[in-house]
Amino acid sequence: MQIIQYLINGISIGAVYAIIALGYTMVYGIAKMLNFAHGDVIMVGAYISFCVTNYLGLPSAVSVVAAVVVCTVLGITIEGLAYKPLRGTPGLAVLITAIGVSYFLQNAAQLIWSSSPKNFTSIVTMDPISLMDGQLVITGEVLLTVCVSVAVMVGLTFFTSKTRTGKAMRAVSEDRDAAQLMGINVNRTISTTFAIGSALAAIAGVLLCSTVPTLMPTTGSMPGIRAFTAAVFGGIGSIPGAMLGGVLLGIIETFSKAYLSTQFSDAIVFSVLIIILLVKPAGLLGKQVQEKV
Amino acid sequence: MLKIDDIHVYYGAIHAIKGVSFEVGEGEIVALIGANGAGKSTILKTISGLMHPRSGSITFCGQDISHTDAYKLLRTGLAHVPEGRRIFLQMTVQENLEMGAYINREVSQKDLETVFDYFPRLKERRKQIAGTLSGGEQQMLAMSRALMSHPKLMMLDEPSMGLAPILVDQIFAIIKELHKAGTTILLVEQNARKALQIADRAYVLETGKITLDGTGKELASSDAVRKAYLGG
Repeated sequence: MQIIQYLINGISIGAVYAIIALGYTMVYGIAKMLNFAHGDVIMVGAYISFCVTNYLGLPSAVSVVAAVVVCTVLGITIEGLAYKPLRGTPGLAVLITAIGVSYFLQNAAQLIWSSSPKNFTSIVTMDPISLMDGQLVITGEVLLTVCVSVAVMVGLTFFTSKTRTGKAMRAVSEDRDAAQLMGINVNRTISTTFAIGSALAAIAGVLLCSTVPTLMPTTGSMPGIRAFTAAVFGGIGSIPGAMLGGVLLGIIETFSKAYLSTQFSDAIVFSVLIIILLVKPAGLLGKQVQEKV
Repeated sequence: MLKIDDIHVYYGAIHAIKGVSFEVGEGEIVALIGANGAGKSTILKTISGLMHPRSGSITFCGQDISHTDAYKLLRTGLAHVPEGRRIFLQMTVQENLEMGAYINREVSQKDLETVFDYFPRLKERRKQIAGTLSGGEQQMLAMSRALMSHPKLMMLDEPSMGLAPILVDQIFAIIKELHKAGTTILLVEQNARKALQIADRAYVLETGKITLDGTGKELASSDAVRKAYLGG
């Protein structure tokens, strides 16, 4: 029974990774950049939610909305100020800028909220469900996280395959110049992508801290890196890939903590990644497109 | 309709276009011929706003477009079918056409029918992923995609590239039809013979400069052009 409990916990944390990974993958697919500050946007989202609940005393639903709004604006601002001026320059410049933005956000958070951890109150008030005489416990957080991540994936898939803006995003992702020749405003499309990615980061932040309640300025960085790994694992640029990668990563992490070693769990996770990439360089669901000349 | 006035274009430090001027009048087919690397595609990219001239001006329908962003130009009636087709390979034929009609917001059934009349083969393949089409079909899709926006001027960059002779004939026949239907054409081609056959006027481009111009017939019979581009 224990193994099923671990599996449930793994899926739950994996679902959080999946939501973060979806943000990574969307931005990578469309803006062709790795936004290493993505993990720190998660942390900002969690802090906003924390402040709205604890300092303003507003209900948690309001705090989630506030976190989403602030992170969306933050995402668009970061993109406009830091990344957009570098468009057309070698990818390395943007990558290093993203790392810089990541440190900036962490230090700004430390300045505003100090480095001492805050105890995040879960947004879920539901009592855990006990199954099999209490051998199996499913918390409200687990249910919420899994439902939200599935909803996000379905929503994004629908958005990119059915809506005009979503299709324009795919066009930009495939061929930026050709998309411009169709009358698509590439800059605006990239901003929209950042807005969506950052809104997802806010949601991920609240869910993450509802599950693991310690909130500090570095809270987002490790989950951010794990989620990035998940995105690569599943095939970066692919929406179902990010989902699959996230969940698998969560399961592998939980199992290695439970059965192998708590300290080495990250090492194990990354070893699995290396092995997968050696065998399938494009990731599990990544597409290797052959172009016709 | 389109007037290029002494444009200079650079790729970083490389001076690619060295003072090119030419005009395309309404209802004309104008061809730009020249060897590989002469700067033909660069000129088209500069007209469509993917690149910008360092000096000189480009006017389209009386409006200076030298520094207009590429995505705004389709709305002025200027469409560019780029070199190598550049269709969206991972999207379906239908979705590619929808992207062609992006500026109209809605895809009108009538426009789709018009396009399918020109290229019936695409109708059968509308649900197919564009990357699985043959080279000729991809060229047809690239042209159809541009047609969806009802352009006044259509710029075609090497439409015959990599196609079997029979397909080249087909593509050129369609260019003529489009022209008859009222679209002005600016054609860039390495296949000079074909281009000069249908062009009202043509310009010869050599290493970033225009060295000759005249009617299609004049150029086709000029010794210099015959030696350099038509194989003697």
